[in-house]
Amino acid sequence: MTSVKLAAGLVCPVPANAPDRVQLGHGSGGKLSAALLQERFLPGFGNPVLAALGDAAVMDVAGVELAISTDSFVVSPLEFPGGDIGSLSVHGTVNDLAMMGARPVGLSAGYILEEGLPFERLDRIIASMAAAARAVPVPIVTGDTKVVERGKADGLYINTTGLGVRLPGAAPAPDRAQAGDAILVSGPIGRHGMAIMAAREGMAFESSIESDSAALWPLVQPLLEQFGAEVHALRDPTRGGVASALNEIAAASEVGMVLEEGAIPIPGPVAAGCEMLGLDPLYVANEGVFLALLPRRLAVRALALLRSHPLGAGAAIIGRVVTTHPKFVILETGLGGTRIVDTLPGDQLPRIC
Amino acid sequence: MKYLSEYRDPKVARGLISRIAETATRRWVLMEVCGGQTHTIVKQGLDELLEGAVEMIHGPGCPVCVTPLEQIDKALHLASRPDVIFTSFGDMLRVPGSECDLLQVRARGGQVRVVYSPLDALELAQRNPDRQVVFFAVGFETTAPANAMAVWRAKELGVRNFSVLVSHVTVPPAMVALLESPDNRVQGFLAAGHVCTIMGWSEYEPIAAKYKVPIVVTGFEPVDILEGIYLAVRQLEEGRHEVENQYVRSVRREGTVPARNLVEQVFQLVDRKWRGIGEIPRSGLGLRAEYADFDAEIRFGLGAIEQEEPTECRAGDVLRGVLKPVQCPAFGTICTPEHPLGAPMVSSEGACAAYYNYGRFRKAQPAGATT
Amino acid sequence: MCLGIPGRIVEMHDDAGLAMGTVDFGGVRREVCLQYVAGQVKPEDYVVVHVGFAISRVDEVEARRTFNVLKEMSRLDELDWIGEVADQSLNQLGGAGGSA
Repeated sequence: MTSVKLAAGLVCPVPANAPDRVQLGHGSGGKLSAALLQERFLPGFGNPVLAALGDAAVMDVAGVELAISTDSFVVSPLEFPGGDIGSLSVHGTVNDLAMMGARPVGLSAGYILEEGLPFERLDRIIASMAAAARAVPVPIVTGDTKVVERGKADGLYINTTGLGVRLPGAAPAPDRAQAGDAILVSGPIGRHGMAIMAAREGMAFESSIESDSAALWPLVQPLLEQFGAEVHALRDPTRGGVASALNEIAAASEVGMVLEEGAIPIPGPVAAGCEMLGLDPLYVANEGVFLALLPRRLAVRALALLRSHPLGAGAAIIGRVVTTHPKFVILETGLGGTRIVDTLPGDQLPRIC
Repeated sequence: MKYLSEYRDPKVARGLISRIAETATRRWVLMEVCGGQTHTIVKQGLDELLEGAVEMIHGPGCPVCVTPLEQIDKALHLASRPDVIFTSFGDMLRVPGSECDLLQVRARGGQVRVVYSPLDALELAQRNPDRQVVFFAVGFETTAPANAMAVWRAKELGVRNFSVLVSHVTVPPAMVALLESPDNRVQGFLAAGHVCTIMGWSEYEPIAAKYKVPIVVTGFEPVDILEGIYLAVRQLEEGRHEVENQYVRSVRREGTVPARNLVEQVFQLVDRKWRGIGEIPRSGLGLRAEYADFDAEIRFGLGAIEQEEPTECRAGDVLRGVLKPVQCPAFGTICTPEHPLGAPMVSSEGACAAYYNYGRFRKAQPAGATT
Repeated sequence: MCLGIPGRIVEMHDDAGLAMGTVDFGGVRREVCLQYVAGQVKPEDYVVVHVGFAISRVDEVEARRTFNVLKEMSRLDELDWIGEVADQSLNQLGGAGGSA
């Protein structure tokens, strides 16, 4: 590539094809994130448990199936409509355990506090986190605190690690989806990501959208108790949205998927906010819904079960797993056309065009 | 959403598809000018549904795609300066310059912020008086009034730390350049509905008459595009070549006069290079002398530079409509959204990205099926 | 260039000489510059908004008229189709001498 000679002499020495450092896109849950994992972390730590890349790691310890999951929370703003970083950090890890069929038994919480964070704000977040944990219920049994200089940590970062016990007979895993499965979603999508976007400087808009941040174990438990190992896969579509989560399962299970555009539940204001900014709801983050893949003959009963619970009131069957086009997720539009739903390289960006 | 959802009605859309199929006695070649229209066509699979009756060629209506390499490089330079907060629409962030893109400049410590409106950038300047705020003023005639207002307002309010890097282009000269090209196959056009909302449609009348091509001013939803295609096909079947307005709910013949007036006051026509096409005289907008103080190229002393495109990138052929993205040897192999060779693969409006992200998997190259 | 969506004006005000307003897009609201349509619009009117600017007023009368034409056209197509199917069924019944 030619060097750029500009009046002020800046030269950008690295070719665009091989970035030499971490970019924001590496945290977005899309292709860059996957590459970071595959190319940098897995080779270093490789072991069969990690390689399964489930939402939580499942290990047989003295005959008991234990699940461990860890998640770090760096959301900004710290407090947003429908939640805050505290409650989010409880829900996120409890949900990762739930996605592997595990009942949460304990959480740890590590805090990185920025010098200058007002106690008033910290106290609110602690109270919210305690309330979220009690509601599951799961005790926060151990923790750690560090303080960093002003200017780092955006106020506060939290890491939670959860320990869970797998429900006997439950074995949801990303590589167990099968042709003939129905794809269900437990509620309307796009709320968390748009609630955050509405608060962002430069993008701000007014809306009634609230984050859907919620602990999902109370909804997952009855589903697993009723259908056991027939629940082939569970995934909570957080960063990267429904599109990324389904692509991960399609890749791990080596199956194709077909989604029906008209069946995907999207709240009006979420759709409107996405229209305004040029975003696709399928890529917007969620923190209180999950995807379930199970045999088609059980789908209607599973749907009824989800809908009978307040957290699952908006549940819907949104698609099916097929043998054609393995690893591709296809969307059927209302007009009868089709398109591929691929993962994005990095974050989805608002557009004018 | 009112005045949006109705234009996605599947029954109405299917009715139009039947009409088009019944009306066309041969396969006509049409071009939709605007990237937003390309987006809808590929996202809804409309060209698949119209296979026999119409071939849609995707035009250069993506201001992101046609922004010349030099302007991207200037943007990268400005964004790297520690005294500058560089603001831009989201579309531009992943467009590759000669060596990197705005996202990588941000990773290196450059202050790069996405804004929804140019007025947000102006507000940022007012809130950060100790920094220079530069706004990347890209777009067609649709966006020019918004960018003009930001500059006009900055001058009126005396916001001295605000400036714009201009890369505006206008549609009619590009259409003429395409029509003059010896390998042109386009027989009719869907003109860009929001460009015409501002500009009206009178500029297209001499083009329709001279080159004998129907031009239908068209909106962006599936029903709009299908109706636009239907009207164009009907004209072609009847041997007419007029300017028709499909997008009546937004477009009037005179356009939005106050917007045109302010654009005229702040900007002037200049020669502009279109990435992949080359220089088209009087096809761009630049700031007038009275607003030179707000021109980032002058304020930061960015000289004129020439850049070469990577040879494998066939963006030019794609933008001129002579090559479909799937026919390009680099498509899906060495050129993908994660490592694009050119802008049409990065911009969500670019024909290449549209095909890659929404395209039919059975037409994709085998190597493009896995990442 | 392209992304312009219709919204309903909720309120209008002046911001140091610039006509501004709050526009509702199906449940989300944003501040929009109304300078280019000032004098043509009032609250409850619909405008097309691009990058935070109203670029035109939606002509609701024209929109309804032209959309009804399209709906009628698609309904007629459906009636044609129903008619064809009905004809086919009647022919089959007649040919096979089947029961009514």
